[in-house]
Amino acid sequence: MINKTTIGLLLGLVALTAVNVHAQQRGSDPDHRLSLTWDRWLDHDEIGERMQLMQRTWPNFLTLRSLGNSHGGREMWLMTINNPATGGELDKAGMFIEANVHGNEIQGAEVILYTIWYLMENYDRIDEIKRLVDERVFYLLPSVNPDGRDYFLDNAGSGARTGHIPVDSDGDGLFDEDGPNDLNGNGVIEQIRKYVPGQGTHRISHVDPRLLERVFPGENGDWVLLGREGIDDDGDGRVNEDPVGGYDPNRNYGSDWQPNYIQGGSMNYPFQLPEARAINDFMMTRPNIAGFQSFHNSGGMILRGPGAAWQGRYPTSDIRVYDEIGENGERMLPYYDYLVIWRGLYTVHGGSIDWTNDGLGIISYSNELWNGGQYFNSPLLQEQRQNPNSPISPQRSRFFFDDFLEFGDQYVEWAPFEHPVYGQVEMGGWKKLSGRVNPRFMSMELFHRNMAFTLYHADQMPLMSIGETSVERVGGNLYRVRVDITNERLIPTITERARQNHVVRPDLITVQGNVDIVAAGWVADKFRPGPTQMIDQEELDRILVRSGHPGRTTRTIEYLVRGSGAMTVTYSAVKGGTVSASVQLR
Amino acid sequence: MMNNDRTLHPNEGSTRMIIRTTVSAGAVALFATVGPLPAQTASYLDFDGLSRELRSLASGSNAASMQALGTSHEGREVWLVTVGAPGGTPLESRPGVLVVGNLEGDHVVGSHLALETVRYLLSSDDANLDNTVYYVVPRLNPDGAEAMFAAVRHARTRNALPYDDDNDGRIDEDPPEDLNGDGLITMMRVPDPLGAYIVHPDDARLMKEADASEGQAGAYTLYWEGRDSDGDGFLNEDGAGGVDLNRNFQHVYPYWERDAGPYMVSEPESRALMDFVIAHRNIAAVIAYGHSDNLVTPPDSRGNLSDANVLDLVIAADASNTDIFATGVFPGGGGGGFGGFFFGGLPGAVPQLRGAQPGRDNDPESGRRPAESVNRDDLTYFEAASDAYKEITGIEKVGVSRDARGALFQYGYYQFGVPSFSTQGWALPEPAEPEEEAEDEEATPRQRGGAPSGGEPGFEASLLEAMDGAGIDAFVDWMPYDHPDLGSVEIGGFRPYATTNPPAADLPDLGRAHGEFTARLASMLPRVRIAQSEVMNHGGGVFTVSVAIENTGFFPTSLQHGVVSRSVQPTTVQIQVPPESILTGDAKSSTIRKLDGSGARAEYSWVIQAREGSTIEIRVRSEKGGSDTTTVTLR
Ligand SMILES: [Zn+2]
Repeated sequence: MINKTTIGLLLGLVALTAVNVHAQQRGSDPDHRLSLTWDRWLDHDEIGERMQLMQRTWPNFLTLRSLGNSHGGREMWLMTINNPATGGELDKAGMFIEANVHGNEIQGAEVILYTIWYLMENYDRIDEIKRLVDERVFYLLPSVNPDGRDYFLDNAGSGARTGHIPVDSDGDGLFDEDGPNDLNGNGVIEQIRKYVPGQGTHRISHVDPRLLERVFPGENGDWVLLGREGIDDDGDGRVNEDPVGGYDPNRNYGSDWQPNYIQGGSMNYPFQLPEARAINDFMMTRPNIAGFQSFHNSGGMILRGPGAAWQGRYPTSDIRVYDEIGENGERMLPYYDYLVIWRGLYTVHGGSIDWTNDGLGIISYSNELWNGGQYFNSPLLQEQRQNPNSPISPQRSRFFFDDFLEFGDQYVEWAPFEHPVYGQVEMGGWKKLSGRVNPRFMSMELFHRNMAFTLYHADQMPLMSIGETSVERVGGNLYRVRVDITNERLIPTITERARQNHVVRPDLITVQGNVDIVAAGWVADKFRPGPTQMIDQEELDRILVRSGHPGRTTRTIEYLVRGSGAMTVTYSAVKGGTVSASVQLR
Repeated sequence: MMNNDRTLHPNEGSTRMIIRTTVSAGAVALFATVGPLPAQTASYLDFDGLSRELRSLASGSNAASMQALGTSHEGREVWLVTVGAPGGTPLESRPGVLVVGNLEGDHVVGSHLALETVRYLLSSDDANLDNTVYYVVPRLNPDGAEAMFAAVRHARTRNALPYDDDNDGRIDEDPPEDLNGDGLITMMRVPDPLGAYIVHPDDARLMKEADASEGQAGAYTLYWEGRDSDGDGFLNEDGAGGVDLNRNFQHVYPYWERDAGPYMVSEPESRALMDFVIAHRNIAAVIAYGHSDNLVTPPDSRGNLSDANVLDLVIAADASNTDIFATGVFPGGGGGGFGGFFFGGLPGAVPQLRGAQPGRDNDPESGRRPAESVNRDDLTYFEAASDAYKEITGIEKVGVSRDARGALFQYGYYQFGVPSFSTQGWALPEPAEPEEEAEDEEATPRQRGGAPSGGEPGFEASLLEAMDGAGIDAFVDWMPYDHPDLGSVEIGGFRPYATTNPPAADLPDLGRAHGEFTARLASMLPRVRIAQSEVMNHGGGVFTVSVAIENTGFFPTSLQHGVVSRSVQPTTVQIQVPPESILTGDAKSSTIRKLDGSGARAEYSWVIQAREGSTIEIRVRSEKGGSDTTTVTLR
């Protein structure tokens, strides 16, 4: 249990050794220990620096390690939050939060950095935060694909979803030899269009001259689209046919993995990618992990598995847990829908949250951060958008938003260009941060709401406790001992899927003391007389509970024992902690 | 060619032991080969013995090299021997054959077939070492194989990953034990009025399930030999060994089964092999010796494998602890639990759950599924390989086999896209009398066990009969034993390794035959060449260049499934001129998804603008069929 005096002492030490001297409170809030800004997208080095800074500021709670290197040699930074005064890491249920497995889906990393910062800044201020940090352990990995992240942030941003193991996408024996090129050197990979009066497939929209629209069949337009900015780098007569990477780092996990022709981009076998492998190797050494979140973008979704319909439905008891957390998530995250991946998004084989659910027995979600509806987030504006003539109609709203709220920062106007292959063309289009990544000024809300959802998810991880105990002397040295065992939270210690797959160690109820156990069983209703469901196992001092302990439930175990003195009953759940009670036989 | 009878059943009167050398590591040479290579071995070799033998072969020839692909859990090397003549086309650009043996720990014969294959290839004229490369991994599972040479032998298939088989929080805590001290782990049959089995009416060594409809009552339960070491009420449910490597690969992987590993390719041994395979796309055929067969019996007309030949005794002994996962399961959410005391952060909420939203509501039937039977267009190649195999080895009938979920050879076809084979590598001895019901068996495919109704001998009985006839001591007769916990029982059953490995004396001939088959398979690989080239001068610096690409091999440049699964890259034909100098005709780079073998051709022509008298290079490159280059002069 928590010793308040000890924690106070430890915190005092932290304050003395911290980098920033705690300043006096001004205005309504106390000063932050770390005054960080949250209006930039950080590259890999900056993420590492920020994590090191936080680790130095709160060294007692934070442990920073690298799980290994990405293909490109970048550290896979992982922060652990654990209060050692309330127990060791493996004794508490763990919440693992990761992001950015797709290189271009960047903002989850900032959600995670914000989460570390928020928990630490508010540990002493907000009771619920303190309780959560004291009860749980958090594993936070801002970028699963640091190579892709830097490629997206440092370059023109095109084709950054993939990881960076070279793949021969066009089968010519060469690897990544012909990707898009920033021909005009403006830092953007644009679209190419060519003016071909009366012979084209597209025309300029009358709604907005920046819009091209496809002509109806049988009609002729004045423009053809020639793909993305680039040339034939390898002289094989084809343009941009083998860009960097060329696989999907979120199809390389170990459940329902399928070969490339069924699931594009899955590579040759699960956990072939060094990043997926490093994370899984770590997770397999932390069986206490009971919650998992993988942030992606975009669309505004709270996704759960299964990724493919062929896998069938999850067991009903697991679905109930998913539904309750998912639906509360919808209330916490306006514009986000709680969906099953295959049904609400598209079919995914070998995705990360299928593995963590099926192979590691972890209740897992994946949030698709940012929904375009949030550009115009009032009922009135949503109604206006229905009108096709409105300047914020679905066709035009992106331009409106960019014109009036981003001051035109996200769009590159069409401009003439002399292309080495296509001749006189025009190039233009949206910049990389537009569309899937939220506007910077809307980041704080996105970070905070998504953090709040993961903290709620973490709070629902199993938490075991012991309630009432009773000892009744039956005669001689024969006693009837009853112990109430409770899982205080929603998620069971072992999901039904984990039980079916045998992937989580069963819960164990052990007995110590000078006792001989005659029988043990579950009491049907401790308030009324009635039968006890006997436990038919050989080792009654080490009872296996393969089906785990359900959420928000108290069960009463009854032992008939011969003995004397102290008898200790211990309930141990790898995902719910270990609790025990001692009674005296007299 | 080998004569089956002569080779496998020499006219010896004496009973032969399967394992001639039980603990010795050394090789006993019974046969000599011509040439400077070390003599063939006629005894099973442990890790040190095999390593020595491979090293001496590899060091004795400049056409062989040896390296470790990786190391096992217990630190033994997974050896790779690469065979191919130096010089000429680089090895990694030649059509290659991959040979892997001993994936299952108890299939030690596989490693000897591979070892002898190396010897054969280095000494034979038909191996085409100048234009072919052979990658031979004799023993993928050295830790599992080592169990054959232990003081107490238990036919172990798995590698040495410490694994909690029964998921009770304890690892390897209840292994089988050699109670009667005969150095073997066999089985126990225990009188049990609640048991499911009776002694087989046709052969008292075998057991069959009691059939209540025939008025039979079970009288025995079967177990592996041993005690309940951890006192959990189950016998021998968690012994040493973790993953059966031939159930750890990616095709129809047996998810969540006890010996298949935590996930596909999870093991250091399987991963080392897989990393090698995917980096060597020139591998154009695979032979993986093991417990499954598609060589003696090729896939049927629907592309499916024949049924497994299983041992009912083994199934019965395994079944003795399958109930273990039912213990500790308390249904109904908790055996008398009461809920509603705690509601996390939402006191009082009794949620009316509406469930996950439909979103786009995609069609559950959408999306393609992976192929699980051989493509009709590819069957002929499997049949041709099977014919060659049977012709060379004389093997017409195989012994114990099993289903092929997660097996390497299945990966080789279904995901790597090449002709890929497995077989046990030795013949079930022919039974003494001719089988008249052979046709019936083919007509009704099913899992053949020991006791079909109708009285004809099942697989198990015919196996024993054949072994008896060949003088192979494959069965340890049941003998009474006073078990410390179970009282009076009998110990006996199939002798470990006897049903999965031939007599050691057969290894030299079997090895030579399998070496010959490997070379024959290599001769069937696709081989592309530019068969013809032509230049037509149109004047004014305009020329038509034409070539004919030919596959002189037997296999196509890609099987049809290699095309379907996109696992085999198309063959590329490229003319080495700047793209803008091509006036009309084929593209600078053209691709052929599949060029059939036996001399099939594909023709290409380009009209180009170039300087008269200049030379132009045309290249063809096939992932599985090598490459070729020709130069034409524009005149
Ligand atoms: Zn994504």
